[in-house]
Amino acid sequence: MKENKSILKKITGSREASLLIVLVVLCVVISMRSPSFLTLKSISDMLKNNAVIMIMTLGMLGVLLVGGIDISITSTLALSGMTAGMLVKYGIVENTFLLFVIAVAIGGLCGFLAGLIISKGKVLPIIATMGFMYIYRGLAYIVANSQWASAEDLGAFKEFALGSVFGINNVIIVLVICYAVFFVVMKWTKTGRMVYAVGSNREAAGISGINTSSVELMVYTVMGTLAGLCGALAVSIYSSAQPNMLYGREMDVIAACVIGGVSMTGGRGSVAGALLGSLILAIIAKALPLVGIEAIAQNTVKGVIILAVIVLNVITQRVMDKNNLKGREM
Amino acid sequence: MAGKSGRTIANVPEKSLKKTVLCWEGMLVILFIVINLFCGGISPSYQFANVLREMPKYLTEMFLLFPMAFILILGEIDISVGASVCLAATFTCMASNQGLPFGAVILVCLLTGVACGFINGLILTRFQELPPMIVTLGTQIVFRGIAEIALGSGGSVSLSNADGFRKIAGKAGIVPYILFVVILMAVLYSVVLAKTTFGRSVYAIGSNRMAAYYSGIPVQKIRLIIYTVTGFMAGLAALFLTSVLYGANTTTGNGFEMDAIAMAVFGGISTSGGKGRLFGGILSGFTIICLRIGLGQINMNPQLILIILGILLISAVLIPNISAKLKLKKKAA
Repeated sequence: MKENKSILKKITGSREASLLIVLVVLCVVISMRSPSFLTLKSISDMLKNNAVIMIMTLGMLGVLLVGGIDISITSTLALSGMTAGMLVKYGIVENTFLLFVIAVAIGGLCGFLAGLIISKGKVLPIIATMGFMYIYRGLAYIVANSQWASAEDLGAFKEFALGSVFGINNVIIVLVICYAVFFVVMKWTKTGRMVYAVGSNREAAGISGINTSSVELMVYTVMGTLAGLCGALAVSIYSSAQPNMLYGREMDVIAACVIGGVSMTGGRGSVAGALLGSLILAIIAKALPLVGIEAIAQNTVKGVIILAVIVLNVITQRVMDKNNLKGREM
Repeated sequence: MAGKSGRTIANVPEKSLKKTVLCWEGMLVILFIVINLFCGGISPSYQFANVLREMPKYLTEMFLLFPMAFILILGEIDISVGASVCLAATFTCMASNQGLPFGAVILVCLLTGVACGFINGLILTRFQELPPMIVTLGTQIVFRGIAEIALGSGGSVSLSNADGFRKIAGKAGIVPYILFVVILMAVLYSVVLAKTTFGRSVYAIGSNRMAAYYSGIPVQKIRLIIYTVTGFMAGLAALFLTSVLYGANTTTGNGFEMDAIAMAVFGGISTSGGKGRLFGGILSGFTIICLRIGLGQINMNPQLILIILGILLISAVLIPNISAKLKLKKKAA
């Protein structure tokens, strides 16, 4: 009896564990309905198609951890991706590696600017990034100059997303590297701990000698850098570059974080949670057509699931708090 | 001379001319005039009658500004209004195409909006721990999703009988009806926010929710009312938007929430709550509309206009912050 309780406590006590259960249940149910789901090819396709959102979820994790938010990310992505696409189209830069460097640099600069305004100018994150959302998206359209880059224009650049090393797709390798680096940095380095410190109590962090505004600036720059990387990746994966790329998808990124248990007020959340959250979103998107829900109803179902998850989160939190109080009374 | 509150008459801050001009609203009035002169300078067709003719398209967003100001002053945010407009416009067009009398069509439109707002309010007041940003993000996807289901595979619907809507889109002389409605709403919301107990409670909740709760303000009731009213205004905006567009599609109302928030912030309403006046929001709304019409008339790239709006938005918040910092430094020196 007692053992039972402690297992139950462990499950309800850790958000990642309950998310993992949700993930497993989802996988089992879906693979019962459609056996083709749990094949290596189907999973690697799913990871490849959602790599962009999953990588940006990492950056958003950092931003949310310091209590901020960034809604300009898909505009940054469009600007850097569009620039890369145009450079290939007009044959100015052909080297794939160089294109990635350029896209990442543009993204980093975009993020740095937003971070500067937010950390040094003390503008609220939602307002500043909303402004930059307009600006970067507008710049993407200007770079495009009412043109777009199709698969033929992209030439060797689109081969990157098709190529593979040791049988694993390049995109997935990038994805895994990003997650590995973030996992180590957030968990075991001083930088990662500083981000958590600033997010949980900014004043205390400042008094204990952390330069809070630099941490903030860093977080937004990293977010921008990842968005820039995703810009190049997205152009390569979808083998087209358009200025309206991933319009409005920043909400998916935020939703993935929230499902993964990252707190909007800062200080709480983990890389594992972000991974599970974005995986759950990706699986749901993949599974809905497999279980026979029409494409038209997918957004509604996705929205309902997001709402259900956050409401469930609150309810479990309440139960946890109550149990903790009970423990104290005894 | 001490009054009940212990405040003497001499303590009432003087309203000097310098202060009136230098406050945020004063600056906005000047900016409004400058922008109008600028637009008149660059575009020969920027005349009173032409501007009024083009205005209805942009004025629909003003409806969303008023309740958004309330929500921002509460210290919250609602990003689902654009989707509510989309859903309401979709149902309106469908109801009208079913041959319902126009009165019933209006009712459908407003009720859809109210329902959307009420759902937001209900979730937010039942689960107070949830941040409004996330809840309205979820409902935004759901509302637009329902509109997508209703619209079917075509993704759009157009009015087969637009008689009633033509009446709404009519004009008294050269002034479109919608401008009267906007002005009426502006006065109504300004008075409620500035002069009534309800308005003062909104400010109180925005500056310190706990203190407001303990002083007996029904915080959750007020939040529910405000979110429901936001839905109602989204319905109203959808009604007038339909009278301009004669139809709806899955992208109707895209970005309206951001525009409404931008207008409010540019008007000096703080998103952290408790600060700002509706008058500023209204002024900034008209300034942005005039700028859009003027730049649109010289066929400026709409994306360039977006960039200008973004820069305006950021500098509107950045400049006061920097000047406050400089002032502090001066005092310290």
